[in-house]
Amino acid sequence: MGATNTMEAVKSVLEPFDTEYVEDYKKIWIKAKLKTSDDLLRVAEAIKAEGLRSISTVSPTDFPDTNTMEMNYFFEDLETKRNLWLKCDIPREVAQCEIDSLTPLFPSAEWHEREAFSMFGVTFRNHPDLRPIIVSEDFVGKTPYRRDFDWDAHEKDVVQHVKTIVDAFKREQETNEVNLDTDSSETVLNWGPTHPASGPIRLRIHTDGEEIIHIDPDIGYVWRALEHLVTKKDFVGAIVAVERLCFMDNINSMVGYCMAVEEIAGTEITEFAKWMRVLLGETARISSHFMGMGGFFNNLGLHTMGMWNMDMREFFLDFLESYSGARIATAAIEPGGVRYGLDMTMLDELQKAFDKFDAGIDDVEMIFAKNPTMRVRAKEVGIVSAEDVHTFGLSGIVARASGVKTDIRLDEPYAAYDQVEMDYMTTKDGTAADRFTILFRELKQSVEILKQAKKRIEEGVASGEFNPTKDHMVKVPKKLPAGEAISRVEWARGEVLMHLVTEEKAKSPYRLKMRAPSFNHTMILNRLLEGKTLSDLPLVFGSLYVCQGDLDR
Amino acid sequence: MLKILDFFDYAKSESLWMAHFCTGCCSLEMAAAMGPRYDWERYGYMPTPTPRQADVLMITGLVSKKILPALLRTYAQMPEPKYVVALGACSFDGGPYNDSLSVIKNPTEILPADVFIAGCPPKPEAIIEGLEQVKQKIKNGEPSAASQGGLWKEMEF
Repeated sequence: MGATNTMEAVKSVLEPFDTEYVEDYKKIWIKAKLKTSDDLLRVAEAIKAEGLRSISTVSPTDFPDTNTMEMNYFFEDLETKRNLWLKCDIPREVAQCEIDSLTPLFPSAEWHEREAFSMFGVTFRNHPDLRPIIVSEDFVGKTPYRRDFDWDAHEKDVVQHVKTIVDAFKREQETNEVNLDTDSSETVLNWGPTHPASGPIRLRIHTDGEEIIHIDPDIGYVWRALEHLVTKKDFVGAIVAVERLCFMDNINSMVGYCMAVEEIAGTEITEFAKWMRVLLGETARISSHFMGMGGFFNNLGLHTMGMWNMDMREFFLDFLESYSGARIATAAIEPGGVRYGLDMTMLDELQKAFDKFDAGIDDVEMIFAKNPTMRVRAKEVGIVSAEDVHTFGLSGIVARASGVKTDIRLDEPYAAYDQVEMDYMTTKDGTAADRFTILFRELKQSVEILKQAKKRIEEGVASGEFNPTKDHMVKVPKKLPAGEAISRVEWARGEVLMHLVTEEKAKSPYRLKMRAPSFNHTMILNRLLEGKTLSDLPLVFGSLYVCQGDLDR
Repeated sequence: MLKILDFFDYAKSESLWMAHFCTGCCSLEMAAAMGPRYDWERYGYMPTPTPRQADVLMITGLVSKKILPALLRTYAQMPEPKYVVALGACSFDGGPYNDSLSVIKNPTEILPADVFIAGCPPKPEAIIEGLEQVKQKIKNGEPSAASQGGLWKEMEF
C-alpha cells in the first residue's frame, strides 16, 4: 500500500480480470462490471488485499426482460476513501440464481446477503448462515422484491398469513425447549418484540443464568417493504416512503434520495437549496441525537436526561414546523431543491432554539456527559475496535468512537458541506461511554454547523445573492432517462447509501436500494455481548444508537 | 349502588395507564407527549412496561404482519376493562404504507379502536385530546369497542 493508495491502484487490481468496463464514477468511486460471476471471489480477494475492507451493501436488481439478476457490490475503504462499485450478472431463474458468498472474506456482507436471499431469492454459496431475515414467515421461500411477484394474490388471505406467523413462532418456542440440554441451566430468553428499552425487535438470547451465551436478533417487526413501495410511486411521491426510513432523522434520507434523482436527471440545484439542505439536515440530526442520548440514559434507568433533551428538542422541531407545517413528517426535501421557500422570520424560531440550547447544554454536559456513574458503568462494555469497524462496515458515531475517521460530510461532501467548517469527531477506545461522548460532541458540532448555515443564508439574502422565495427549487422533469446512480449521506446514525435505477421515460423508480446503518450495527450485537451479563444488554444496545425503522425498512 | 359504580368509573378514567408498546413511528410523537412541553402525566396518563397493569393499548401507527400477534397477545393480557386507541393514518387504513406488502391495512377491523387520532404522525396535542375522549367514554360507562367485536376474537395468536 503506501504510495499505491490511489484510485489507479484499485483499477489495476481489476486489470487481470475479464471486465465489460472499468470507469471512474464521481470523485472517489470506480464502477466496474465483471463479465462472469465466477471471477467474483478472486476479484474480492484482490480488492481486500488492496485495502478495501468493507462491503457497504449488496444490492440485486431484477431484469425480467433480459432474464438476468444484476448483482451490485459496494466496496469501501473507510481510511483512504476509495470505493468500488462492482457489478456482475447472474441467471434469474430461482434454481440457478446462485453466486459465491463474500461473507467469509467480508463479514460486513453477512446480513446484506441474507437480505438479498430473502427478498430476491439469490442463493449465496458457502454463506455461513443463510437464513431468511426481515421477512415475516408468510414470505419465506418467496421472492417479494422481484418485479414479477404477484403480491395482490399474496395479500388476499391476511388472516391465514398471520396464522402462519403465529404457528412458526410457537414451533420455534417448542423446539427451544427440546433442543436445550435438560441437565444444563441454559434458557432461551425472548427480549422483545416489545421491550420498552429497544422498541420492536426480538433478540433470542441464549443465557446461562445471567451470562449471555449467544444472541440471535430476529428483526422485521416494522418491515414496511419501503424499497418496493417506492416503485409504485412517482419520483416525488417516493419521498414519502424514503423519509419514513426513520422518523428521527428523516431529512437526510430524503437528501440522499433526491441527490440520486438529480444525478440521473442531470439537474444542478441552486446554492441556496444546498444551504437549506444543510440547515434542515442538521436540525433533523440534532433532534435525532437528542433522542439517542435520552435513549442511552433511559436504558441505564435515568429518565431525567431524556426529559431535558426532549425539552430542547421541541424548539428545533418548532423550526421544522414553521418551515414545513409538520414537526416530524416534513417532506421538506424534493428532487430539485427544497420544497418551500424560506420566510426569513422562520429563522427567528431557529434563533430561539439556539438560545434554549445554549442555556441548557452546559447543565447536560456537567450532569450527564461527565456523569461519573455512567462513565464507570459504560467504559468497559460494548468495546468495538477500529478493526471491527472495517470488518463489519460500521459507520457513524459507532465508527468514530473507535477512532476511525469516517464522515460522509467530509469524505464525499454533498449539499454545501464542502463550505462548512467542521472536523472528524473521534475518540480512541470504542466503548459505550465513548459512543455517548461522540454523540454529545456531535450534537454541539451540529449546532455550530447550523449557525454557520444560518449566517450564510442571512448574508446571502442580505446581499441579494439568494432569493429565498424563488431559489429553493429548480425544475426536475417528471420523466427521467434510463440510468442509475448512487448517493451517500451521513445520516444521524451513519452512512446511508441509496442505489437508484431508472428505466427510459420512467415516472417511478425501477429499483431503490437503501443501505441503512442500523443493519450493520445490530449485526455485531452478538459479538459485543457474548460472555457478558444480561444487565449489560440495554446499555450496549442503547449505545449502538439503533433505530428499528432503518433496521427493517 | 349506582353512585358507587360511577365513582369507580370516574377513578378509572382519571388515571389511565397505557401499555408501553411501539409498533410504528407514531411512538415518537407519543414520546413527545410524555415530554416536558406537553407532559401528559398532568392528565393522569402514564406508560407502564407491563400490559397486566394497563388500561389502554395504543396502536402507535403501522402494524406489520409480524407484530400483529404480539399486539393481540398484549391486548389479551390486559385486565378488563381495557380500551384501544388508534394513532395515526396507518392504524386506520395503512396510511402512507397502504400500497406496501407487509403492513396490515385494517388493524382496527382486527382490533377495534375506541378512539382514532388523525395525523401522520398526530401532534402531541391531538394525542392528549384523543385520550381525553377515552376518559369521557369511561365516565359514561360505555363498553369498549374491542370487547364487542373484531376479528381478533377468531384469530389465533
